[in-house]
Amino acid sequence: MAFDDLLDEYDRRMRAALAMGGEERLERRRNAGLMNARERIAYLMDEGSFVESGLFAVSHLPEDRESTPADGKITGYGRIDGREAALVANDFTVKGASSSTTNMKKIGWVKRAATERGIPMVFLGESSGARIPDNMGAYNMGAMLAWDPAQYLRLRQSPWASAVLGMAYGSSTWYACMADFNVMRKGSIMAVSSQRLVSMAIGEQVDAEELGGWRLHTEVTGLMDLAVDSDEEALDAIKTFLGYMPSHHNEMPPEAPVPKGSDETARKVLDLLPEKRTQVYDMRKVIAALADKDSMFELKARFGRTAVTSLARLDGKVVGFIANNPLHKGGALDADGCDKACSFMVLCDSFNIPLVFLVDNPGFVIGLDAERQRAPGKIINFMNALQLVTTPKLTVMIRKNYGQAYINMAGGRNADEVAAWPTAEVSFMDPAFAVNVVHGNEGKRLEDDDPKLFEKKFEEFRLASEVWDIAAAYGVQHVIKPEDTRAWLIRMFEVHMARLTGGLSQHRLANWPTSY
Amino acid sequence: MASVEIQSDVTGTVWKIEVKEGDTIAEGDTLMILESMKMEIPVVSTDAGTVAKILVTEEEPVAEGQAVALLNL
Repeated sequence: MAFDDLLDEYDRRMRAALAMGGEERLERRRNAGLMNARERIAYLMDEGSFVESGLFAVSHLPEDRESTPADGKITGYGRIDGREAALVANDFTVKGASSSTTNMKKIGWVKRAATERGIPMVFLGESSGARIPDNMGAYNMGAMLAWDPAQYLRLRQSPWASAVLGMAYGSSTWYACMADFNVMRKGSIMAVSSQRLVSMAIGEQVDAEELGGWRLHTEVTGLMDLAVDSDEEALDAIKTFLGYMPSHHNEMPPEAPVPKGSDETARKVLDLLPEKRTQVYDMRKVIAALADKDSMFELKARFGRTAVTSLARLDGKVVGFIANNPLHKGGALDADGCDKACSFMVLCDSFNIPLVFLVDNPGFVIGLDAERQRAPGKIINFMNALQLVTTPKLTVMIRKNYGQAYINMAGGRNADEVAAWPTAEVSFMDPAFAVNVVHGNEGKRLEDDDPKLFEKKFEEFRLASEVWDIAAAYGVQHVIKPEDTRAWLIRMFEVHMARLTGGLSQHRLANWPTSY
Repeated sequence: MASVEIQSDVTGTVWKIEVKEGDTIAEGDTLMILESMKMEIPVVSTDAGTVAKILVTEEEPVAEGQAVALLNL
């Protein structure tokens, strides 16, 4: 036949591209229990839906053409749970998925398509950084780098999700940090430079886990939202995250059916509260009880644990919870907790997700460490973000609510409607401290100095902190029984839905920095 | 065997130690309760594992970030 040779050549080239970095490298991965880039795509995307953009693209260097299938970064489009998405999957078996001319064009191409067509972007990261020697020398720097003024522009027009699934330096790290959701397989490393390069530069051995392991990023830097044990779990987490997101910023998040039993669980929420005000509880259980059954998806669970940030559903609609967690530091907000709350508000404001604030905190963490961690700046960052949010906001005061943190946790007009449980106590500072400030002597505790006076004054301050006085001042518009909280939230979101814009926020936080 | 330090996230005083060396614990379990900011603040485990060593005693003051127990994973 006339075209047989040409079609054979097509098949040969396709097989070569799909063979990635060769059987030997692929087998090594298989033996280590790791998925390769194409297996990851197949797992993530609906069967048969992936269309590759640039299957035949290779290195721009003639001598590298045969050794760079897809130029090490597989790009394209596919459906995730029935919805379109664009994707970059780094193929570490091809020159360590290092960045070079062709594959940078590919990333730019699908990113632009995702933005302009309103579909999420997924990055499966595992890359060694800039390709050497391609990037070496002044000519190549000038010719290759920094030609895309939108390369690191993050305007959050569509959701980005990233998984770090191996060694991530350079490109994979940057896109992970720009993503709205970031998951990591334990054992992976995310850092600016590799352990080897760092060790050479500083002249001593560094431990890769310490340099960029999952504990660092889930507990200290907060750059990771989640760490999991396997590639499959990481890809599942991306699916779950995107299930809460609209495809783009001009649409509302998808709704889901309300599981049976959601209302019944919510009516028992008061059982989660300890009787004594000096005891604590895990606020995550309160969120789980109030939200649609099993709909809670917590972000950055191990970071800034005095605050909880969680996506969830209420009556089938996506909402975001920002809550104090008394289980950690009594719920006192610290610098990390502020950063975490900010990044979550950015997410929710960008993608039209209403917010619920659950309040139980004795104030901000104070002290030398707090000031060194730039607490004043963090507190005001939080306030600025809060007042820029234009999705509907509801606040429920559960127990303690003191000082500036009252304002930060969407008190007063910082929410569209504020409710308090009868257990709420509100004042400028905890009565025990206030008594000492007003009646005590510096350097002594009034509890020890004059216990009788302390008790008397404490009781006075405590009574003045009860919920009835803030209700009298219309500082809260509702005092609700705990058992009615879920129904109240659902009803108030019906009232306060953003009808004038069809639910859309003004996205004033959409170009907020990605880390700060 | 890998091990992790469990740290106190507040400054306070150890009030009650709830586990002993050799105990198997789950992530989120309470290891001990501190008295801090006039509240009972638990130290919860960041990981599942076995308690290898308790590094403090009851009534001992602890600082924020201080290791209070060692866990074998």
